[in-house]
Amino acid sequence: MAARFGPGDPVLVRAAEKPGHVRTPEYVKGKTGRVEEVLGVFEDPEILAYGGSGPPEEPLYKVSFRQIDLWEGYAGSANDALYVDIYEHWLEPAREEAR
Amino acid sequence: MTRVHDLGGSSDAGPIDRSQHDIEDWERLADAVTIVLDKKGVKTTDEHRRAIESLAPELYEKLGYYERWIAATELLLVEKGILTPKEIDAKATELEEI
Repeated sequence: MAARFGPGDPVLVRAAEKPGHVRTPEYVKGKTGRVEEVLGVFEDPEILAYGGSGPPEEPLYKVSFRQIDLWEGYAGSANDALYVDIYEHWLEPAREEAR
Repeated sequence: MTRVHDLGGSSDAGPIDRSQHDIEDWERLADAVTIVLDKKGVKTTDEHRRAIESLAPELYEKLGYYERWIAATELLLVEKGILTPKEIDAKATELEEI
């Protein structure tokens, strides 16, 4: 499966409430970050968690977030970043000016 | 709604307990059994995580790290029809009597 996003692309994490096992932490949902790297294509752990075989495989991205975008009243440097590995079905394109 | 295990960034989670303790034998055993079951293809890491997350929130909060692993392993072995709760309880009772 071809990766929909590439390094540098701004992405918005879906704010979806998906029941069951998910690999996307709550604190990045609805937040905008940037793709740092396409880590590869893997079986979906959200399906594997229920004993399924996991296909179709999907791209996994290393996404960076600015700490000031994640935490209200963040007192550290505006350059501080946090990285989360996120599967493609959690991401949608974001506008550049959104972050 | 945030589930019990997904605590990152929540302000009411309290401070992190950073105290250490020596690893006990039962913890090594819990780790070993889990790894062997994975290697033998009985269960996967993703299933293990899902099972831990499915524990009742009160139980999740109460149990320690490897206690959660044991609870998850028990849940998955029963789910897959390898052991029954009755067999597990009988063995636990037997061990308590030693």
